[in-house]
Amino acid sequence: MSILCHIAISEGRIKRSSLETLSHARHIAKKNNMEVSAVIIDVKAGNYVPEVKKFGVSKIYTIESPLFEHHINSPLIEALIKVINLEKPKVMTFASTESIKDVLGAVGSRTKAGVIPDVASFDLQNGTIHAQRPIMASKFLADTESNADLVLVSVRSGSYDVQESPGDAEVIKVDFDFDENNIRQKIREIISTSGDKIDLSEAQIVVAAGRGVKDEEGKKLIMELSEVLGAAIGASRSVVETGMFSPSTQIGQTGKVVSPQLYLAVGISGAIQHTSGMVNSRIIVAINKDPEAPIFDIANYGLVGDLYKILPLLIGQIKSAKNK
Amino acid sequence: MKFYACIKQVPDLAGPMRVKDNELIQDSDRLMLNAYDASAVEEALVITEKHGGDVEVVLVGLEKAKETARKALAMGASKGTMITIDDGLNLDSAGYAEILAAFFKGAEFDVIVCGKQSQDTDAGLTGSMLAHKLQIPYASNAVGLDVDEASGMVIVKRQGDIGQEIIELPAPCLVTCSNDMNDPRIPTLKGIMQSKRKPFDAIDVKTLGLESSDLNSFIKTKVTGYRNTPGRKPGIKMEGEPEDIVKQLVDLLDNEAKVL
Repeated sequence: MSILCHIAISEGRIKRSSLETLSHARHIAKKNNMEVSAVIIDVKAGNYVPEVKKFGVSKIYTIESPLFEHHINSPLIEALIKVINLEKPKVMTFASTESIKDVLGAVGSRTKAGVIPDVASFDLQNGTIHAQRPIMASKFLADTESNADLVLVSVRSGSYDVQESPGDAEVIKVDFDFDENNIRQKIREIISTSGDKIDLSEAQIVVAAGRGVKDEEGKKLIMELSEVLGAAIGASRSVVETGMFSPSTQIGQTGKVVSPQLYLAVGISGAIQHTSGMVNSRIIVAINKDPEAPIFDIANYGLVGDLYKILPLLIGQIKSAKNK
Repeated sequence: MKFYACIKQVPDLAGPMRVKDNELIQDSDRLMLNAYDASAVEEALVITEKHGGDVEVVLVGLEKAKETARKALAMGASKGTMITIDDGLNLDSAGYAEILAAFFKGAEFDVIVCGKQSQDTDAGLTGSMLAHKLQIPYASNAVGLDVDEASGMVIVKRQGDIGQEIIELPAPCLVTCSNDMNDPRIPTLKGIMQSKRKPFDAIDVKTLGLESSDLNSFIKTKVTGYRNTPGRKPGIKMEGEPEDIVKQLVDLLDNEAKVL
């Protein structure tokens, strides 16, 4: 019996959330006297084997094909089914990425698995998976369980810490002879992010502007910050009403409800009409001149100061932190 | 083109709700059309208005879900089918997909559209489960949708992990829709009046050949209780020279919060 962990690769790197999930899966496996295996599906899956070996897995499956250069659901589904049939795990875990959201239901349906998507935490006890899922825009947690023979679990990023554990895994190269004629969808074009509208309601990072952002200069800083973070842009009602930000960016009671990994509230005082739309963000950063602003009551990290001085420094520092 | 929109009735998320003894209590009776499904209906209507065709809606739910199906008809869908299930049957995504698959095996369609997830469970599984059961290609999380008249291909712009992907699908196919793709129309009074004369079938799930006992065997997951999301406490408040506090913040974001 084993737990099989899918290792997501994005832009030449292993997704941190995959390693978070793998670290937790190893912990659960140990408790249940099970083994942990991993699968890497990528154009160059083999490149990532040394990194995954650091995580105490017993087997690493690699599936390589040029088909995985871009996300296309049908070959990814076939690859996942193939490795599930080889390994026959009790549980398969995934980082909850857009690519996985795209295929999880189909893989579950093919394998007749119990599928528990987008969990904040999970455990395995006596053959039953118990998971906690944020629901209704993260207002509540639903305790969800499945005792199916195979359970697929996708995990929100930031749910667990990455912990290495030495081990020497057996590497198994899986042949993948997928007939390209079976792909019924064709990619016409990929428009990569920056400058593009990121789906605010499910963005991983949101930079939100409030009344403190007074002019085009302030707006420019917000745009720059969102760009270096790959963030979606949000706004409080006041700057939407002045026309500086579009209505689709409004967050709060009359706007969108978001729960990203990181929410930067810039020049936002933190009225309940706004915070009801973002209070379930994992990490909240507040930047505000007024040390008494209510936003500081819910912020993990609060910076008291002038956003026009703070943002240019922040943009520079994040750039260098990301490049290191 | 013939479109079907799969829709669901959900509680009003803006209304008062609370957890009591592990149960989720809704303090208002307001039930709504799932916002993501509303975007799917809207998009199908826009496309058929542009290229010709027809939009039907299908809904699985309890008797009271009928008003939600009516709303889609008032928006402009031509026909509604409501598949009623027994109260107390706790369908998960697999259960819904099984019922919808049974329905679509007897229907003719070019494109099935549905919300990318429902607002009450945020699971986002039913669409791709249904596509698999029907053996048709699909795309999820669409932020744009159109039909290429020359080739008859369905063109989907979807939000992926690293950008937007524009993909072509041959009909019949299925597309799950984001609510960012449009602003669903509000039914006009005329639309509401017309909706009352539109064909509307209410069928019991048993007429699709599915007994409750069968459905129970398709259900693979169950919700055992609800809790409030834990509240927040104030964290670290940094004051001082901008250079210093920014440095401190970036360090915390990188090494403590691990969000960079």
